[in-house]
Amino acid sequence: MRILVVDDDQLAGEMITAVLEDQGHHVFQAENALHAIELLGQQSAIELIVSDLNMPLMSGIELFRELREQGLNLPFILLSGDDPAALRAKEPNLDACIMKDFSMDESLPAAIDAVMAARDAITC
Amino acid sequence: MNLNKPTLQNKIARLRINFVNQLPVRLEQAQQQMAILSSESPINVTALQELHRAFHSLNGTGKSFGFTALADVAEHAEHYMQGIIDLSVQAMPSDLLGILSEFLSQLQAQMHILIASDNAQDHTQSSPYFEIGQSDTEIFQGQGPLIYICDDEPEQVHYLVHQLRFLGYNVEHFTDTSSFREAVLTKRPDAVIMDVFFPHGRTAGTDELVSIKDVTGHKLPAIVLSGRKVFEARLSAVRAGCAAYFVKPANPMDLASALDELVGDKLQEPLRILIVDDEPEVAEYHSLILEEAGMLVHQIHHPEKIFEALEVFSPDLMLVDMYMPVCNGAELAAIVRQIPEYVGLPIVFLSTETNAQKQFSAMEAGVDGFITKPVVPAELVSAVALRAERMRTLRGLMARDSLTGLYNHTTTTEILVSSLAHAVRHQEKLVMVMLDLDAFKSVNDTHGHMAGDQVIVALSRLLKHRLRNTDVIGRYGGEEFALLLKDISSDTAEKLVNELREDFSEIIFNVGQKQFSCTFSAGISMYPGCNRAEDLRMAADTALYQAKSQGRNQVVVSKMCDE
Repeated sequence: MRILVVDDDQLAGEMITAVLEDQGHHVFQAENALHAIELLGQQSAIELIVSDLNMPLMSGIELFRELREQGLNLPFILLSGDDPAALRAKEPNLDACIMKDFSMDESLPAAIDAVMAARDAITC
Repeated sequence: MNLNKPTLQNKIARLRINFVNQLPVRLEQAQQQMAILSSESPINVTALQELHRAFHSLNGTGKSFGFTALADVAEHAEHYMQGIIDLSVQAMPSDLLGILSEFLSQLQAQMHILIASDNAQDHTQSSPYFEIGQSDTEIFQGQGPLIYICDDEPEQVHYLVHQLRFLGYNVEHFTDTSSFREAVLTKRPDAVIMDVFFPHGRTAGTDELVSIKDVTGHKLPAIVLSGRKVFEARLSAVRAGCAAYFVKPANPMDLASALDELVGDKLQEPLRILIVDDEPEVAEYHSLILEEAGMLVHQIHHPEKIFEALEVFSPDLMLVDMYMPVCNGAELAAIVRQIPEYVGLPIVFLSTETNAQKQFSAMEAGVDGFITKPVVPAELVSAVALRAERMRTLRGLMARDSLTGLYNHTTTTEILVSSLAHAVRHQEKLVMVMLDLDAFKSVNDTHGHMAGDQVIVALSRLLKHRLRNTDVIGRYGGEEFALLLKDISSDTAEKLVNELREDFSEIIFNVGQKQFSCTFSAGISMYPGCNRAEDLRMAADTALYQAKSQGRNQVVVSKMCDE
């Protein structure tokens, strides 16, 4: 799958990329929300977005809302250092919200599978 | 150098080390924001936000890498900061700066703990996450470089694909450019072998490479395999940035050496520099300059800690302050030079000493160079890099066999001793394999020494591709190889070596018009069971001898090492 990773922290971005590439995904990286929007404009083939929450200029939630406003309905997974439940309450339309921790090598692929399965269930 | 593709674990381990190495810079930046906060009134809101972001980033990234103690401090700081930002400027608490600097010093303390524990490497090894599936030969699967071959005539490449697989490559074959493209976008290979001519275009293969580069922004390391010698095809290959051009039918051995050249120079380990300076700030400053240039730096502020640092960090070069309490730089250099292992270690002095006579007397103590304070960053970097790299090259030449690039006899023996000590300390298993080519003398006698070299190189290639980064491969003698496999059972090792043996026996060597193949026998011993290096070697040797006498082309596990 082609996945866009948005994280302003370069190392965190590389870590997520390493996990996803290990799963066989093709990963594009953006260092902020604006760069992400630009990339999405150029790369129509991107199938899913994984974004950090807190970034300068525009947060992950703002990016999510902006994309939905533009009519882009790609699956969106938000990463955060805090309790994900509070974030889901704030933005219930998010496809998934997971905690940044050292188990991301398992939690992230699992979240992607769950999100894609849920999406398939709707379209079928 | 190890040619194996980095696994996820290795990548993450490297990123963790990078994170720890970047901590000083990150905290320094936070410190600068603090300086702005304390010097400006009314309070600088941008600096507040920058600090909040710095804490947030340390929290999130710290957690991602499993540095929870550090991340917990950062999380507290982040939450506190969030509360502050939500307040109006007038309502700022009066002890704000005090609380923030307390957070920063806590973070600094965590940073020192991480740096002191040898760059976080130990954490990754002890983390349960890294023990997943370490039980069977599966851990050896997919170790070799991933190679995509794109050619529309399967019968032409069938033989090639098989031979490359026996040499330990992960080969996938595509017969059309669109499925090849799809595969590249899903999983990027380490190298590509591409035909030029396809039914839908005279240069469709190389055109595809150019197009993939345009889309992904990265050039694929590629070799062209073409049925034609025409100028047009060769030009298209050059334009697509291909490294080599082979005309069919290509010899798999030649292709393999071209592939290894493409894949091999990917991972250059950073130079390791040990700084000895009694003033932490000065050490920190030099360390920042060198880290900025991509080097890995370890600092000690007390000369007494030198032995521990040398052993744990094993530096390529030592940068020493000339004037220190307890023991000065020249004395320290003399002490280090008295240890046989470090006779060759480059030592560079940092000093304000411009007096040539004094510099000369330091040279006599075994110092390789002087850098005069105040330091010009570019000079420091080049002086250090030059000497450290030369040291690496020399060490490499001394430690490795020139034909195969594997460790030579002496180095293998040394590593055997240190690996066994490590295994005993950490209560891990260690397997030793002695491996010897069967009837190698007759290969040399029948086909010549060039053919013999071909066989040795092929076996070393297979071993490099199939074993893990952490395993040790040595050329022990003419046609004898020694392997050290860490933390696996003798059953797994036996299964693995048998797989290698079967693959190797399928490799076909070409000498002129003649073809031949070759086999090997192997003996396996292990710790626990054999508890001394000499016992391990003897037991593996005896098992190997038994394998030979039972008819060769087989693997025997030593009975002397039953657990």
